[in-house]
Amino acid sequence: MNRFLPVALALMIGSPAFAQIGNPAGLAPDTKMQEPGVPAPHQTNNQDRLFAQLAAAGGLAEVEFGKFASTKATTASVKEFAQAMVNDHTDANSKLKELADAAKIPLPDTLDADHRVIRQDLEKAEGKAFDIAYMRSQIIDHQKMAQLLAWELNSGEDAEMQRYAAATLPKVMHHLRMAQNIASELTGQGSREVVASQTKK
Amino acid sequence: MSPLKLIALSCLVTASAVSLAAFSDPLPPDLTYRPLPTQPFSSVKANDEAQKPKVMERQQTLLNQRYDLSDKAMSNVSMSGGMKKVQEGVRVKLPDGVTWESLADMSPDEIRDKNLLPDGFKPLPHVKQATGGQVFPQKQIDEIGKQEARDLKRFDVDFDLPDHLTPEFPPPIFLTTHPELGDVSRGQLLTIRNFYEYMNGIITPVQMEGLRLLLTPFPQEEFNQTEDRKVAQQSMGVACLDCHSNFNTNAAFHLTPDVRPQASRFRLDTTSLRGMFNQQIHGSKRSLRSVEDFTEFEQRTAYFNGDHVSATRKGVNLPDRPNQVAMMAQMQNIIDFPPAPKLDPLGRLDPAKASEQELMGERVFLGKGRCGECHIPQTSFLDNNMHDLRLERFYNVGYSANDQVAIPDGPIKTFTLRGIKDTPPYLHDGRLLTLADTVEYFNLVLGVKLTQDEKNALVAYMLTL
Repeated sequence: MNRFLPVALALMIGSPAFAQIGNPAGLAPDTKMQEPGVPAPHQTNNQDRLFAQLAAAGGLAEVEFGKFASTKATTASVKEFAQAMVNDHTDANSKLKELADAAKIPLPDTLDADHRVIRQDLEKAEGKAFDIAYMRSQIIDHQKMAQLLAWELNSGEDAEMQRYAAATLPKVMHHLRMAQNIASELTGQGSREVVASQTKK
Repeated sequence: MSPLKLIALSCLVTASAVSLAAFSDPLPPDLTYRPLPTQPFSSVKANDEAQKPKVMERQQTLLNQRYDLSDKAMSNVSMSGGMKKVQEGVRVKLPDGVTWESLADMSPDEIRDKNLLPDGFKPLPHVKQATGGQVFPQKQIDEIGKQEARDLKRFDVDFDLPDHLTPEFPPPIFLTTHPELGDVSRGQLLTIRNFYEYMNGIITPVQMEGLRLLLTPFPQEEFNQTEDRKVAQQSMGVACLDCHSNFNTNAAFHLTPDVRPQASRFRLDTTSLRGMFNQQIHGSKRSLRSVEDFTEFEQRTAYFNGDHVSATRKGVNLPDRPNQVAMMAQMQNIIDFPPAPKLDPLGRLDPAKASEQELMGERVFLGKGRCGECHIPQTSFLDNNMHDLRLERFYNVGYSANDQVAIPDGPIKTFTLRGIKDTPPYLHDGRLLTLADTVEYFNLVLGVKLTQDEKNALVAYMLTL
């Protein structure tokens, strides 16, 4: 498990030193202000609300697929990765839930359409083909999540939600790199190996 | 076809229909496209003005954490126009407990794991990343206001670097067609008001028309007539030479048009247009193959962030390729580098004119320092390629600073070093303030382990270019 330690480290040092300051052109028209130019806590715009929904759907799928893959996978590194996804995303999901509750944003509690399709595909795959299919779906999900978090960081208006995005992003990018490296080991596909030292067995 | 085969086929079709249905929900459109404002202009302006002091304070705090911003000029070295001294010394601050030497002795992995890469080496955020856009230094704002009564001042942000760390203003202009005249700028900023008087008799009619277009304001993302602008009054827009003052640079900055989402876009420090005639690729990321392509497409990129949809709404200018674009390119292609009297015709130091330290610098540049592998003296210190320095070997990507997400820079084109003392700050985003900073940066990134004497010699050498 020690290969996942840098994730915790990245999360700690990833917290931003300064408050987010967005473009006020994108504030919700009914935003209550704490002081001029600064939205009151838990004031949200359309981007915050959509982000919370999409991030929750992604996080939910991460945990469900992780549980599934940690038993079904045959390669040790895939099992280990799947378990790390369960742990890390359970934690991230509960933080997101707290913020969404505070901002009165309802979150999904079942898999969305895209992830149901992935789940079906994963159920059909066996052995090494399953491991590869799971890791490839993880790469895509983490690519999308990284873009989504960066989007919230600049487009949202709920400062706590934006800080959550900022703190989660380095972790998601680290997961993405791990997934790429494992997929690379499984299939021989190219990888930039920027965190090579962290994936040494 | 047998019933069994038909069933198999229909199963296949169903399976492929299912996989076709995968990922049917794309990410929200404003990850790629510019969102329309949700608030009236007056309300946005009031909020922007209220935020401005915090925005500027946040950026100043970041700059002071990263750099020594003090005014330490070299007593004996001026920029080419002779109006401003070159700044000296390494300005990037080191983390506690390390020296430049001890840092250079560590592996990239060790520096990353211990979080020891100096913050000043990391991507430099825009003053207000979430909004981005062009930001002009005060001298440019003042001069254009005085000559043209056109307002380049934004109500949401100001320029962030102190004046002594930017190029001299206005910079001199040297023409390939008239080397004997030397600087033809008359010490003034070229504008739509004065260009004809200053240039008539020196340039051709075609070049004159190109120059007129390069000085004509056109609508831009932050400077236009819509509610989605960051200037108080409805604006006529900006001109190409508002950033490329006198075909050099005034250090105005922007965000790259080539990356999305907004938070991941890197800052762009305006590049000089001097020596355009020898450049084979244009745009730090896009590698456009001619200055004509670049000039034509800047109306979608520098002006509108690479968003042609937004450009169409705010008033796009599409210069006519065979006439206007060609003339604008003709004008840019006669802008020469400043004189470098110590260089021979092939870009090497003349031993009769150069000092021993400068000659040593050239040896390091071409040898141990490996600078000359991309910055080839004979081809204007260019190699007409893009290279990926892979700085992300030294830090964990994905952290954010002032709302900018640090992602790897990826391949960036080689910039010329001719006239380099005239164009601080350095690197595509201006993250390095002095030439000494660039030496420390490349010493680390290339792992060449230069001695202090060799570093000093490299700076002395670059001042001769």
